Amino acid sequence: MGEGGRIFGDKRPREPESSDWFEREKSVSRRSPHPEFPWEPHLGATACSGPVSMKKCTGIRTILQGVVPLLLVLHWKHGAGSPLPITPVNATCATRHPCHSNLMNQIRNQLAQLNGSANALFILYYTAQGEPFPNNLDKLCGPNVTDFPPFHANGTERTRLVELYRLIAYLGASLGNITRDQKVLNPNALSLHSKLNATADIMRGLLSNVLCRLCNKYHVAHVDVAYGPDTSGKDVFQKKKLGCQLLGKYKQVIAVVAQAF
Amino acid sequence: MLALQTWIVHALFIFFTTESVGELLDPCGYIKPESPVVQLGSNFTAVCVLKEKCMDYFHVNASYIFWKTNHLTVPKEQYTIINRTASSVTFTDTSLLNTQLTCNIRTFGQIDQNVYGIRIISGLPPEKPKNLSCIVNEGKKMMCQWDPGRETYLETNFTLKSEWATEKFADCKTKRDTPTSCTVDYSPVYFVNIEVWVEAENALGKVTSNHINFDPVDKVKPNPPHNLSVSNSEELSSILKLTWINSSIQGFIRLKYNIQYRTRDSSIWSQIPPEDTASTRSSFTVQDLKPFTEYVFRIRCMKEDGKGFWSDWSEEASGITYEDRPSKAPSFWYKIEPSHTHGYRSVQLIWKTLPPFEANGKILDYEVTLTRWKSRLQNYTVNDTKWTVNITNDRYIATLTARNLVGKSDAAVLTIPAYDFQATRPVTDLKAFPKDNMLWVEWTAPNESVNRYVLEWCVLSDKAPCVPDWQQEAGSVHRTYLRGNLAESKCYLITVTPIYADGPGSPESIKAYLKQAPPSKGPTVRTKKVGKNEAVLEWDQLPVDVQNGFIRNYTIFYRTIIGNETAVNVDSSHTEYTLSSLTSDTLYMVRMAAYTDEGGKDGPEFTFTTPKFAQGEIEAIVVPVCLAFLLTTLLGVLFCFNKRDLIKKHIWPNVPDPSKSLIAQWSPHTPPRHNFNSKDQMYSDGNFTDVSVVEIEAANDKKPFPEDLKSLDLFKKEKVSTEGHSSGIGGSSCMSSSRPSISSSDENESAQNTSGTVQYSTVVHSGYRHQVPSVQVFSRSESTQPLLDSEERPEDLQLLDNTDSSVGNFPRQQYFKQNCSQRETSPDSSHSERSKQVSSVSEEEFVRLKQQISDKNNLHSLKISICPSGQETVLPHGLFPFQSIWDSTLKHYIN
Repeated sequence: MGEGGRIFGDKRPREPESSDWFEREKSVSRRSPHPEFPWEPHLGATACSGPVSMKKCTGIRTILQGVVPLLLVLHWKHGAGSPLPITPVNATCATRHPCHSNLMNQIRNQLAQLNGSANALFILYYTAQGEPFPNNLDKLCGPNVTDFPPFHANGTERTRLVELYRLIAYLGASLGNITRDQKVLNPNALSLHSKLNATADIMRGLLSNVLCRLCNKYHVAHVDVAYGPDTSGKDVFQKKKLGCQLLGKYKQVIAVVAQAF
Repeated sequence: MLALQTWIVHALFIFFTTESVGELLDPCGYIKPESPVVQLGSNFTAVCVLKEKCMDYFHVNASYIFWKTNHLTVPKEQYTIINRTASSVTFTDTSLLNTQLTCNIRTFGQIDQNVYGIRIISGLPPEKPKNLSCIVNEGKKMMCQWDPGRETYLETNFTLKSEWATEKFADCKTKRDTPTSCTVDYSPVYFVNIEVWVEAENALGKVTSNHINFDPVDKVKPNPPHNLSVSNSEELSSILKLTWINSSIQGFIRLKYNIQYRTRDSSIWSQIPPEDTASTRSSFTVQDLKPFTEYVFRIRCMKEDGKGFWSDWSEEASGITYEDRPSKAPSFWYKIEPSHTHGYRSVQLIWKTLPPFEANGKILDYEVTLTRWKSRLQNYTVNDTKWTVNITNDRYIATLTARNLVGKSDAAVLTIPAYDFQATRPVTDLKAFPKDNMLWVEWTAPNESVNRYVLEWCVLSDKAPCVPDWQQEAGSVHRTYLRGNLAESKCYLITVTPIYADGPGSPESIKAYLKQAPPSKGPTVRTKKVGKNEAVLEWDQLPVDVQNGFIRNYTIFYRTIIGNETAVNVDSSHTEYTLSSLTSDTLYMVRMAAYTDEGGKDGPEFTFTTPKFAQGEIEAIVVPVCLAFLLTTLLGVLFCFNKRDLIKKHIWPNVPDPSKSLIAQWSPHTPPRHNFNSKDQMYSDGNFTDVSVVEIEAANDKKPFPEDLKSLDLFKKEKVSTEGHSSGIGGSSCMSSSRPSISSSDENESAQNTSGTVQYSTVVHSGYRHQVPSVQVFSRSESTQPLLDSEERPEDLQLLDNTDSSVGNFPRQQYFKQNCSQRETSPDSSHSERSKQVSSVSEEEFVRLKQQISDKNNLHSLKISICPSGQETVLPHGLFPFQSIWDSTLKHYIN
């Protein structure tokens, strides 16, 4: 995420984004020194590749892979992972066009949409991976994702929205990695690919809406985000396992989040 | 070495070619702008700048420049000399779409050279696209369309642009074949508002449509529900339950539905009230359906709040409601058939199968009961729809019920009246008329209460018997249509029978057509009677099979060959018509057309000729004429009879008896008197036939012609040879000279000279029946009365006779032949002249004589003629025996 630290509202000309999520991922990845985080949230955010408790995150790796991630790391401080409302008081919170007024309703619908498809996506995933996954879900697909962004359902709307933003950014980046891996590992699982893409699209739209809501109502123009572990260097089984664990976690968390809104 | 030479040649060729092309391609000037695109209706100015080199070479400057558009010189008024090297041309209100503009110079005063050329393209800037709208077909990508506005005449690109508040999407470029719509490349993301607009751009400008901002979920057209199925309920025969699977979009949006249904044989859909299907569901129970009826269903959905588009209709699914007991009793009727058993009747009970909506299930059988007056009821189960039974002549009551799986219908009751029952109380004002392609029957109900009506109908035809169909109507019905397979152009005999509580009433019938048509054949007309000025035509009524409708009238067309056609309309009740005012003796062509309400048809053409005369007209003319003729004749005869003496006096004047004349004394030889006085003999013979009287006047003052003298000599010779057979008195009427002196002797001749007024007569009488008279008598009349004209004739005839005899011909033939043609015997024409003279004198007398004879005797038809003009008369051979009669007649005359 080369532009992960970009200030929200930056209207510098950008390369035309591909409408295809995966293509866009590739293009971002190509520019990004951090290929396991190809997802590019539009909200100005500080990315971290590790869990909140990690002090150094994956800073060395990112330094090796690019300058921008280095800048992100430089912004990252110990204890990062908690919302960091670092938006200046007079920060410009501009969008391409005015946000719609019914954002919260749309966010709820999007969460419902995600929640409604999460289980199917999970089933589709472990089914496509073949044995031993379908019969060892607890062992292999348990929601043991250690660096998963937290979500506090009892927080304020602003907090929930910021946490939601981090969560969706994390999930989106992870889904991008899973999609990339699955196209290699299970090239014939087209329905899985399609479902992964659709989920990623919804998350992208959700981020846009959350961004608009934070910007319009709470004038939050910058949120630090963290990304999951990079799977590119792992073996096939580990990739499948990490993907399954992530989706299991996603299914679990999205239900809570949908309920929270 | 050779290669080196080749290389040098190539190098030189390229060098010179390049130089030449460079010279050729180097223009003498240029035009600015180079590739202009001009807005239609605007001004345009082009400048042509000459190069110094050319100006020096051709000794020209900007004033030598002239412009051409599409090879036509632009008027110089539009030129402007800017400076020595540049000239401009200005066009106002450009309207040409594609114009070639050239800058030219005239070198050496006469050679036009093209300096430079450009092509001006004109058009219009794009209009702002309007009515931009988008649709998201579920599972597909978003498609937007718009109204591009006016024609620009230029290549105009439309670009659909879209973005979120935080992100811009790739542009959607329209395809050349669909410039007014575009389908984006990305999948739609619901619940995120997207802003969409269209940019239209061409060489003259760029314009952007209004932006529209929407949530794609509000533009969605869901996929229709699928796997629609229908199931019934055994408990309720009026419901069907629908189940279906919603499209996947139902996972995150709420849907509402339209459910439509119809019976299998209907084409009109009924719809479940929308408020009953306004929320997401996957099943629905349809109520108030008819039992045992097949229904077809279909369903569609859309977003619950009404935003977006209805899905397409789902595939149809059908189901049949469960059975219920028949809701109505079958229609029930009967026919009486003749029975050979005395005291019994054969009755065929007939009934109609219940329609499905009344049967409410599959009819298993029918139960018929028959009850005679005060007797036991009899039950029968019948599977058919008719049942024949022999019953007595008593009154019976029959009932009928239909049974299905669930139960039995109500009973239909039918009273079969007794044998001697006299039906009364018919319906009145029975009418039948077609309407809406159905044959309607309308009637006025009798005063009494009617349980029901039975309508029977059949096709009237000359070829097939009337096989009735029937239907039953409730007693409250006064108008209905015939529920059968009725054919057009067929005559239906419709009978309406009211059914009272005590039995059927009197039937009433009427004829009707479902749809009339012109007759298949026209009537064949023929004449019954043809008169001079009129003709009675007749024809037969058309058979009902070819009428195709009610014959309203006939039209008779008749014409002559050259005349105009005349049409006469005749009422359809007639089979005969009289054409009057016809022309006699004329051929008429007549045909006839029969007309129904829908048109007519001509019959074959018939021709007849009117007679020249009316019947009896000939008789009316001929009979009076004949009568008048007869009357005239009769009057004439009577007149002649009354005046016979006078007539006789005129025709046959009294001739003095020569025998009593003094000539007898004068003659030295008195001829035997009996020869001349045999009047009685002559008449007794009754052979008096005809008389030729020739009156000859002596031309005393004339000398005989030389020809006469010659003929006289000849005559003398003949006289010698035919002694006693010729007469000298007056000579022959034709052959001999008319001068009496010729026929006399020389002495006569001398006497003639002394006394020119003395007339002689030579009396010659031939012998009776070839008997030669014994004595020739020459007597000189002392009377001054002219001799009978006919006195000469015997001699003449005798002469001819003798002459002919001398040549061996049959003398009798020649006797009657008065050879008047002197041309045959003597070429001398003077004879004929003389004959004419004679004839002119004697013709009148002759006619008179002839009439007298014919009137008086009228016994024989014998021709006698004189030959006033040298003609000859030939008598029929069969009349030769009358020679002696002729002789006798002459004798009589002489007497």
